[in-house]
Amino acid sequence: MTDRDTPVVSITDLGKTYSGAADPALTGVSLSVARGEIVVLLGLSGSGKSTLLRHVDGLERPTTGSVVALGADIATLRGRALRELRGRIGFIFQQFELVGPLTVLENVLTGSLADLRGPRVGLWSYPAALRRTALGHLDRVGLLERAYQRADTLSGGQQQRVAIARALMQDPEILLADEPVASLDPESSSQVMALIREIAAERGLTVVCSLHQVDLALGWGDRIIGLRAGRIVLDTTTDGLSREQVMEIYGRVATSTTELAAITTELADVREALLSEQLRDELRRDADEGVW
Amino acid sequence: MTDLAERIAAVRRPRPRPSAVASIATLLTLLALGIASFSGLGFSWGAMIESFDNLPQFFDRVVPLAWPGWTWERATNSVVWVGWAPVGEFWASVLMTLGIVIVGTLLAALISIPVAYGAARNTSPNPTVMAICRGIGVISRAIPAVAFASIFVFLFSLGPLPGILAFALHSIGMISKMMADAIEQIDEGPRLAIRSTGGSKAQEFWSGVVPQAFPAWVAVTLHRADINLRETVILGYVGVAGLGYDLANALHALNYHRAIPIAITIIVLCLLFEIVSSVARARLLGVRPTGLGIGDAVVRAAAARSSRIASAIEKPGGGDDRTAAIERAMRRPWDSDRITSTISLVLTVVVIAGAFVASQADWLDLVTFWGNLPILLGKEHLWPPTFGIYTPDQVWSAIVVTFQVAFAATFMTIVLTVFIAPFAARNVAPNGVVRGVFRGLLLLIRGIPELILAIFFVIVSGLGAQAGTLALAIGGVGLLGKLVADSLEEVPNGPERAIVALGGTRPQVFFASTVPMSVPAFVAHVLYLLEQNVRAATLLGIVGGGGIGLYLYDSLRVSRYDQAAAFILLIIALVLVIEGVAVLIRRALK
Repeated sequence: MTDRDTPVVSITDLGKTYSGAADPALTGVSLSVARGEIVVLLGLSGSGKSTLLRHVDGLERPTTGSVVALGADIATLRGRALRELRGRIGFIFQQFELVGPLTVLENVLTGSLADLRGPRVGLWSYPAALRRTALGHLDRVGLLERAYQRADTLSGGQQQRVAIARALMQDPEILLADEPVASLDPESSSQVMALIREIAAERGLTVVCSLHQVDLALGWGDRIIGLRAGRIVLDTTTDGLSREQVMEIYGRVATSTTELAAITTELADVREALLSEQLRDELRRDADEGVW
Repeated sequence: MTDLAERIAAVRRPRPRPSAVASIATLLTLLALGIASFSGLGFSWGAMIESFDNLPQFFDRVVPLAWPGWTWERATNSVVWVGWAPVGEFWASVLMTLGIVIVGTLLAALISIPVAYGAARNTSPNPTVMAICRGIGVISRAIPAVAFASIFVFLFSLGPLPGILAFALHSIGMISKMMADAIEQIDEGPRLAIRSTGGSKAQEFWSGVVPQAFPAWVAVTLHRADINLRETVILGYVGVAGLGYDLANALHALNYHRAIPIAITIIVLCLLFEIVSSVARARLLGVRPTGLGIGDAVVRAAAARSSRIASAIEKPGGGDDRTAAIERAMRRPWDSDRITSTISLVLTVVVIAGAFVASQADWLDLVTFWGNLPILLGKEHLWPPTFGIYTPDQVWSAIVVTFQVAFAATFMTIVLTVFIAPFAARNVAPNGVVRGVFRGLLLLIRGIPELILAIFFVIVSGLGAQAGTLALAIGGVGLLGKLVADSLEEVPNGPERAIVALGGTRPQVFFASTVPMSVPAFVAHVLYLLEQNVRAATLLGIVGGGGIGLYLYDSLRVSRYDQAAAFILLIIALVLVIEGVAVLIRRALK
């Protein structure tokens, strides 16, 4: 079928330089994603994964090149048409981005805002049919019991599942996920990744998911695209690919100054977090012993 | 599917959190009290609109303005030049006002240092001292500066000294509290380091605590000086010399041609002072000032364009010959840092010395006033307090009016703010121009001292609660609008982005994410506004705005200090009551 053959996402020679930034975030990125494909974007922080994903959802405008998603060139879209396109594409964030003080159910319902006219306040401002659908999606992600709790009372893994339910409300054709498990513990991580995979299979969704762990990517996606310093350095199917092979091509070895800087910052952050944790412990102990 | 329906029906609905109930209850109660107060005050929109018909009359009574050196002639309704002498007096008055504010605030800051040391959790020697020091702060905050001033006016007679002492005593409350907060927020590391080298407690404080807290201390003091300058107006009414006194005299003589230029001068003075103090604070703290005033906003805007602030990073000096380098380093080079700090030090000393001179305070009074003390405490002067000629009914209805003014004003401010503040928030306003216009409007309102606003409304719509309510309501929009717009902007913007990403419109984003995330901040700000309004409402009567302040003022005018004492105690009680209620509500909101 032609439907199968036309790519749902096609990016040609995309370049992006943020205003005020010296280096481009993306340079000459070209790729196309077929309907139903499960793609992993692999790269260190700062390699341009988020920027790429944000372009697909029309959250950024290209500096050069073009991004066509679901048949529409995002650079030409404005206002209502742009929002309609966004409504057809689900987006999962690293930090979940739920509205903390609202109930879980209302958070899921916000996923339907693109189909509704005007602002909504409170659960009862959404049609009953939508509430029923939302509860169904919550059930699908295994959180029906939590429907009326505040979103910020949930654990990270649960919040991310609520975010997935919110994306399901959009009845999306494409699901974009930006480091969906980077803030989660290993167990929740595998739960969330499995859930995304299952839902993609159930609905025949196209998924583009960015990750930074090679191991996680290998067993999960059909295809891996590696980004480094804003350029594509790897684009291959995962069939029969071993970890070593990926590492060899992709290499976590610093080969450019930007990457070196990224690794250094990462390490420094970790060390600082450890240090201040230690210091805080010491001071707390002091306080307990009445030194102060 | 029936299975799902059954399970949906069985989903537990958790009880709403107590804090959520408390915030809704607080808002609803405030709205109800606000509406009740409107009818209680006999507020009629008709009368309000009518009062704006008075505007042309108002201009007739004000124009032509009689600036210092000019005097208004009734016969010809024009101003005539009378010579330079009044101009000189006027400038002396301006300087005296500034002197009173600076000296008074400085004294408060000096007294506040030991109080803050005792009140801060991490430096206080023991719980008793901490309780005493915090108590000093609470009491000092509760007694309005005008109450202190009226007692001192009796002790020292009219002049600048009562004003200085009133500011000194009343400002301790706020300054010591914020100084203590600054001490509690320091990094404990340097203190620990000094202790580890064998330093004493005092050394720990002077070398470990003070250097860290000092910039914040100075910033607080400067900020309080801004507030005090705005309060000089009301101190003038009870006889503290300076611009406020001149203004009160002109108003009593119903000479608006002379009064309005003085009011304009006070507004301009407040703005200039705030800009200077904001620049100083920005330099001290190395960050953009976060205050609410117009000066802070100006400095923030300027700092947004230049990267000078907060970029003073030390550069290592290059030297090859070590001994020579060391010798060179024995003298601190006159680099730009040293030059600026020396200049600011000299300027500070000059300003403070100038302030002492300009205030023209007769410090000898401090020695001689003891003679007046027995008279003050003697029968029928200050003690025993009595409501005198006022019946309990009158007093009670004055209290009711005071609260009605505060509640009605808060209500009006909330209504206005709900429509104004979102347009002043970056993440809600449709574009930068709209935001700029609304921010500017809020800034303009904040620039005018509330009491000047009250005086304006008294002139336009006559004495009474209506003028006071309008003044507080309009002034409140400047404060609440700014606070609410800021808290809308401070909402975590991740959820907002998520809703944009799924195709939401701007209004949808606002109601689905921005509003629910900022409700707690909104309730807290409203509560703060209410507190401020009650404080202000107790004093509005002094300028003719209705409420309990009128009786205090009348008692002072006829020298019935025993009555004045009763009303001062009553005002303190009212302030403490509203503070206590606010503390309880805040606890429930947590």
